[in-house]
Amino acid sequence: MAGGAAASAALAGCSGGGGEETETTETTTTGGEETETTETTTEDSGSFDVTITQGQMPSGLDPHDHRETTTDIVVLHAYEGVLTRDAAGSVQTALATNYERIDGENAVRFELREGVTFHNGDELTPEDVAYSINRVVDEEVGFASPQSDQLAGVAGAEVIEGENAVKVNNSSLNPIVFSEFATYLDVMQQSWVEDNDKAYIGQNMNGTGPFQLDSYTEDEEVVLTAYEDYWQDTAAVGTLTFRAASEASTRVNQLLQGETDLIVNVPPQEVQRVTNSDNARVAAAPSTRIIYNAMRYDVEPFDSMEFRQAMNYAIDLESIVQNVLGGFGAQTSQPTLPEFVGHNADLDPYPHDPDQAEQLVEDSGYAGAEIELHTPVGRYLKDLEIAQAVAGYIDELPNVTATVRQRDFGSLVDELLAGSIEARPPWFLIGWGEATFDGGLVMEALLASEGTLTTWQNEEFDALLEQAGNQSGEEREATLQEANAMAHEQCPWIFLNQQYSVYGVNDAIAWEARSDERIDAYAMSQK
Amino acid sequence: MSLSRFLIKRSLQGLLVIWGVITVVFGLRFISPGDPANVLLPPDVDPEVRAQVIAELGLNEPLYVQYWQFISGIPVGDLGLSLVTRTPVAARVVAKLPATLELAIAATIVAVVIAIPLGVLSATRRHQPADYGATVFSLVGISTPNFWLGVMLILVLAVQLNLFPTSQRPIGLDGIAMLLAGGDVGAAVDGFVTWLWHITLPAITLGTYFTALITRLTRSGMLDQLGRTYVRASRAKGLPETLVRYKHALRNTLIPVITVIGLQLGTLIGGAVITEAVFAWPGLGTLIINSINARDWPVLQGSLIIVAVGFVLVNILVDALYAYVNPQVAYD
Repeated sequence: MAGGAAASAALAGCSGGGGEETETTETTTTGGEETETTETTTEDSGSFDVTITQGQMPSGLDPHDHRETTTDIVVLHAYEGVLTRDAAGSVQTALATNYERIDGENAVRFELREGVTFHNGDELTPEDVAYSINRVVDEEVGFASPQSDQLAGVAGAEVIEGENAVKVNNSSLNPIVFSEFATYLDVMQQSWVEDNDKAYIGQNMNGTGPFQLDSYTEDEEVVLTAYEDYWQDTAAVGTLTFRAASEASTRVNQLLQGETDLIVNVPPQEVQRVTNSDNARVAAAPSTRIIYNAMRYDVEPFDSMEFRQAMNYAIDLESIVQNVLGGFGAQTSQPTLPEFVGHNADLDPYPHDPDQAEQLVEDSGYAGAEIELHTPVGRYLKDLEIAQAVAGYIDELPNVTATVRQRDFGSLVDELLAGSIEARPPWFLIGWGEATFDGGLVMEALLASEGTLTTWQNEEFDALLEQAGNQSGEEREATLQEANAMAHEQCPWIFLNQQYSVYGVNDAIAWEARSDERIDAYAMSQK
Repeated sequence: MSLSRFLIKRSLQGLLVIWGVITVVFGLRFISPGDPANVLLPPDVDPEVRAQVIAELGLNEPLYVQYWQFISGIPVGDLGLSLVTRTPVAARVVAKLPATLELAIAATIVAVVIAIPLGVLSATRRHQPADYGATVFSLVGISTPNFWLGVMLILVLAVQLNLFPTSQRPIGLDGIAMLLAGGDVGAAVDGFVTWLWHITLPAITLGTYFTALITRLTRSGMLDQLGRTYVRASRAKGLPETLVRYKHALRNTLIPVITVIGLQLGTLIGGAVITEAVFAWPGLGTLIINSINARDWPVLQGSLIIVAVGFVLVNILVDALYAYVNPQVAYD
């Protein structure tokens, strides 16, 4: 499932290109969140061209009118947000130089950077920033943006008179507001948006980012060039081309042949081919996507906690990660990934213990149960193979029979989104990406009684999440950790793997994979 | 029946076929699983936002309204808007047409250039090694699946031997035509070479089945003709063997072969889907695959309508030509 998709915001302040580097680090403390800002300036050592091949082409170029990672990756090179994230996922300043909560109000304040220009040469104004926020959250200002809930809790924005700053009003405390702005909201120019019709905006770009649009051929390619007047150093990449090939083997062939420089989603069985080649390598990073097996709390045999725990003891997760995913994955023990706010580091994955599993099944009173795992095919890295391995291990228990049922992703999602727990399959494999790096949002969506995809109802757990919603900083983190510990013990899921993003990269290019699935060409340099 | 009456009758039949295609495709949309809105939007979207998007796309209208909206636009070339990109479907489909036509024509050329000489050779050297070779070739060609052949050609000729590019269409015939129109002959020649270099592997992949088919057809047609009385009479008259074979027998053999070539051209346009996916060739096939993956029904419908129209047109044209070439066939 596309989940929260990836980033819509801007680029980290980090530029490649060899040469001399000067690094300045400043620490800002704002509203209980501590952030480190690292700015690296580099002397340009001659530009080079880069081609990136994804699985699909962008659905358009309007940064506020889409919900796909593939489109994000293209538009984020031309558009930026007030905040951004570095490669490790921590919040950084971008078009804002400072951000803080306003005392006594449910509002935050962004102080904007001076001297930033749009690609058409006009200077960035606070009006543009306020307009962009309102265009997403307020249907009256622009259109029904499919991103409005990505800025959940944001009521609107206004310019602070006489200052180069913007005030964002929240409908409540909104503990995750900076996290949201670090991931979402691309700033557009008010006059440019108002002067052009929607079709034009979907085919052209005018942002403040390091690359400007050169040409866009729908379904074929997007060509960007380095923006000379960028507020940081000009990008080392001179021309950046995006193309698409839906077949993984086609992408690998293109990379090996030198027709492209970076490809997404190299499947484990193709990794060897890339590694063995003379001109390319594999780069991987843990993503923000968690793969799990949900078990409905309200149907037999999954209504028994012992039975659900038994399922976790029954599988050899370590072996699945090593043998099915070729090592491109990490074991999980809870709904929150290690990089996320709220992760509980004290929890270990369930060990492989078939005897314990068998005993727990007996204890649950469901010995002899026959269960069926619904799984999509080809949606996540090795999804079917993971499902087969899980069902295989469980089937090996003498007192449970497990089978796999392959599902079309579309029809499975229809059932998952039907709105009630009863309409969902009793046992299914699914993935969830959360680009805001917030464990609270994941648990809210997947495990709270009213969650979008929930299969569990537990009043104590709901109370913890509600409590976290009214807290911020370390207090909130501690509450979320408690919720994770509870999920670990009660096992609403069979905890599976954190998915890795696996890329193939031309050896001539220095580039690191990021955990938020963004591909940042501004951070590329020549080796 | 006169030619014009024949054409009118066949055109009306063609319209009926196209209408049938539209209706079937439209119906498929409602029995196939997967709500387009659920594919367009991630599951964590607020239900209100989801409802807004569905309303904006017109997906909440009753079935007959959506059907009427779709079908009433077709006569004026309005195939609706893509659900994913919100751009007009007609423009997108038409933009993809040249790439697919190029591929289909190139595949036909590959087939004709290889198949006809091979078929003749095979027929004239019956039960000799050349005949066995050609027969084996056509058997293998007919039984090899496109996708496997494409992947093998890429692995061996592109990746291992580095003789050809693996994919993409950096310049099309339309691009070369533009260069020529600009008076830039040098660039046009360069463009043509690049085009040739990129289209060779996909054209071979798509054309192999076709080549095998025409080889067999030419061989049997030629054998049939060579056994006829008029051939024996020509030989008896003392005409040179080459003249008998290539002027008389081959000419008569080619009439049915041309019909098959014409009809197969339509199949090639529709059948380029897999080949285009393997070679990332930006034509109708790729568009169809992508729109299926994205549940982008308007684009899928638009593409299929164009394929259907192409098929119907080629059929009418072939029938008309056939009767024209062979007056024994009447327009009825």
